[in-house]
Amino acid sequence: MLTLAKNLYDYRELLLTLAWKNIAVRYKQAYLGIAWAILKPVMLMLIFTLVKSFVGIDSGDIPYPVLVFAALMPWTFFQESASEGVNSVVGNTALIKKIYFPREIFPITSVLTKLVELGINFVILAALMAWYGMVPTVYILWVPPIIAYTVLAALTIAFFGAAVNVYYRDVGQALPVLLSLVMYASPVIYPLQLVKDKLLVQQAAGEWSNALYTLYTLNPLAGIIDAFQSVVLRGAPPDLNAMIPGAVAIAVLLPLSYLYFKRAESYFADVI
Amino acid sequence: MPPAIEVSHLTKEYRLGALQGLKQTLLNTGARLMGKPVPERPLFKALDDVSFSIEQGEVVGIIGHNGAGKSTLLKMLARISTPTSGSVKVNGRIAPLIEVGAGFVPDFTGRENVYLNGAILGMSKKEIDRKFDEIVDFAEMAEFIDTPVKRYSSGMQVKLAFAVATSVESEILIVDEVLAVGDLAFQRKCFDRMEDLIKRQGKTVLLVSHNIRQVQRLCTRVILLDHGRINQDGMPQAVCDSFYEQSDAKIHANAALAKARTRTSGDLELIELSLLDQDGIDTNRLAFNQDCVIQFKIHVHQALNDVTFGFGFHTTDFVYLTTHNSEEQLHIKTLHPGKHEILCKISRLPLLPGIYSLRFGVTAGKAGGTIFYGENLKHFQVAGNLPVTAREGFFALDAQWLLADEGACVHDIAVSANTMP
Repeated sequence: MLTLAKNLYDYRELLLTLAWKNIAVRYKQAYLGIAWAILKPVMLMLIFTLVKSFVGIDSGDIPYPVLVFAALMPWTFFQESASEGVNSVVGNTALIKKIYFPREIFPITSVLTKLVELGINFVILAALMAWYGMVPTVYILWVPPIIAYTVLAALTIAFFGAAVNVYYRDVGQALPVLLSLVMYASPVIYPLQLVKDKLLVQQAAGEWSNALYTLYTLNPLAGIIDAFQSVVLRGAPPDLNAMIPGAVAIAVLLPLSYLYFKRAESYFADVI
Repeated sequence: MPPAIEVSHLTKEYRLGALQGLKQTLLNTGARLMGKPVPERPLFKALDDVSFSIEQGEVVGIIGHNGAGKSTLLKMLARISTPTSGSVKVNGRIAPLIEVGAGFVPDFTGRENVYLNGAILGMSKKEIDRKFDEIVDFAEMAEFIDTPVKRYSSGMQVKLAFAVATSVESEILIVDEVLAVGDLAFQRKCFDRMEDLIKRQGKTVLLVSHNIRQVQRLCTRVILLDHGRINQDGMPQAVCDSFYEQSDAKIHANAALAKARTRTSGDLELIELSLLDQDGIDTNRLAFNQDCVIQFKIHVHQALNDVTFGFGFHTTDFVYLTTHNSEEQLHIKTLHPGKHEILCKISRLPLLPGIYSLRFGVTAGKAGGTIFYGENLKHFQVAGNLPVTAREGFFALDAQWLLADEGACVHDIAVSANTMP
C-alpha cells in the first residue's frame, strides 16, 4: 500500500495527463462534448420516475426524482469506474507492451476520469435541488469522504478484475452484467429506509432478518448511496451502521486485490 | 563507477501454445486437486542464462537472427517484462525507444501528443514545455503541430515520435530499430542525433538492429545472441563478421532444400558434383581468394560428338554471375559411353563471402544442341574475413587506390617506410 501511495505521487503528472487524455479522446469529435457524461443518470432518473408512478415507491419527504438522481450519481460513478478500470489494462495493450510504468496507473486513471464526470453531475443535482427548493446543510461536507470511499470500493473491483481480465477476457464481458444486477441489490431505485423497515423493524425474514440486513449492507454501495442521500438531501449525518459491513469488506479486500494486481503485473506484457 | 547495466543468469521462459480458457483452467485445477496429472504446455526459452555487464558510456549493439531473444532482452531491461530467473540491475534512468510512437492518440493534435507521449516517457510538464520548440523543430513539424495526428502521413508521425523520444533526458538509452524511419534526409538527421547522444553526451546506449553496418559504425562493443544465448561478445568487427558467417550458413541450410532444376536429352546424366578446396578435400564451404576445383562426374549413355562443357555460378535467386565453358580448352571430338570425370580448376576464387549455387551444362554436335542443363545443382558457402565495407556485391576487385597528389604520396610512402622493420 505504501508503494501505491509513492507511485501515485511519483507518477501524478502522468496520471493527470492520462486522465485528461481519456476525457479529451472521448469527447473530441462529439458535438455535445462532455455533456454526454450526464446523459446516463438523467435518462435513468427519468425512466425510474416514470416506473415509480406505476408501482409506487415510498421516497419519504424527498421528491423521488432528486432522491433517485442522488442515488444514481454514486452508483453510476462506481459502476463505470469499476468496469472501465477492469478493461483499462487490456485496453492499453500498446503501452503495456512498449513502456514501463507502474501498471496501477491504468485502473486509477479510469477512476479519475469518472471522477470528473461525477463532478459534472453535481451541477445537475444542484439544479434539481434548486428546482425543488432544497437547501444543502453543513452535512454536505461529508461528500468528499463518501466519494473517496466509493473510489476505494471501485478500485477494489478494478485492480483484481483488471488483472484477471488480462488472462481471461470473460471478466470484462461478465462485469457489466453482474454490476447491473448489483444495482438492484443496492438502494438505487428504492431508498435504504424501505429495506431497513422490512428487515429491522418488521423482521420480515424472521430470525434471519438481522443477518440478512448485514448481508445487504456488506455491499458497500448500500451504505454509500444512503449516506450520500442523507448528507446532501436529508441534511442528516450518514447512517454509519449501514456502512460498517461494507467498509470492513473493502478494508480486507482492497489490499488483497492490489497485491494480486501487483503480482500479476509483471506478466501483463507476456500474456496480454 | 558501478556498471550501468548488470545482467546475470537471465532466463525467460514462455509457454508455447494458446492460453487456456477459463473452462480448461478450472478443469485442470480440479484435476490437480484430485491428484491427477495435468498436461503442461511445453516451455520455450527465449533467453537462456544470459549474463553480461555494460559499463557507463559504452555503446553496445545487440544483433542476432529473428527469434534470437533480442527484443525479449530489451523488454527485461526496460522492465516491461519480468525474468523467469536471474536478475537485471540498472543504474540510472532508462529511456526505451522500443518502437517509437507507442501511445500516440490519432484524434489528438501533434501538440497534444507531444505532451501525452512525453508524459508517458516520464517527462514532466515543465520539461516538455522547455523542450517543446526544439522537438517541433527537429521533427520539422511547426506547420502541422495543431493538426490531429490522424491526418499525418506515417512518416510525419514517426518523425514526431522520434523527436519526442530522443529528447527524454536519461543516462541509458535503449534503441530498437528506430533509425530506419522517415525519408533519407531524416534518417541522416536521426543518425546524427544518435551519434551526438553517444559521442558527445556520453550516454550508455543499447542498440538493437538488423542493420549490421549501422551497428558496426555506432557501437564500441557488439553482443551476438543466438537462440537465447550469448554467442559472442566483443569487438564489433569480429562479432559482426561471425554473424555474417552464421547468416550465410543459415541461408545455405535453407537453400539446400531448394530443388535443382535440370533438363536432359537422356543421353547424359550427372552423377555427382563436388567442390574440392585447395587441399583437394570435398567440401561445400570454400575460402575466399583460395584455389579450388569443381568436379563433375557424368554418365554418358550414347556416344557424343563435339562436346562442350560449361558451368557457372549464380546466386540463390538466380542472378547468373559467371559462365565458363570448355570450348577453347578442351576439344572433345567424341565422348564414349560410360563414366567420365571432368575437372575445372579455379585459381583464387574471387567470390565474396556469401551463399552461391552452381549450374552446369553440356552441348554436343555441330549445332551445339543442349544435351544436359541444370541449375541450382549445388549450394556452397564462401567464407572469409573481409571488412564489412567490402562485403557488398559479389566479386572482389583486385584494385589499388592512389592519391595522385604528388606531395601526399611521398609523405605516405615516407611514413610506411619508417614503419618497416
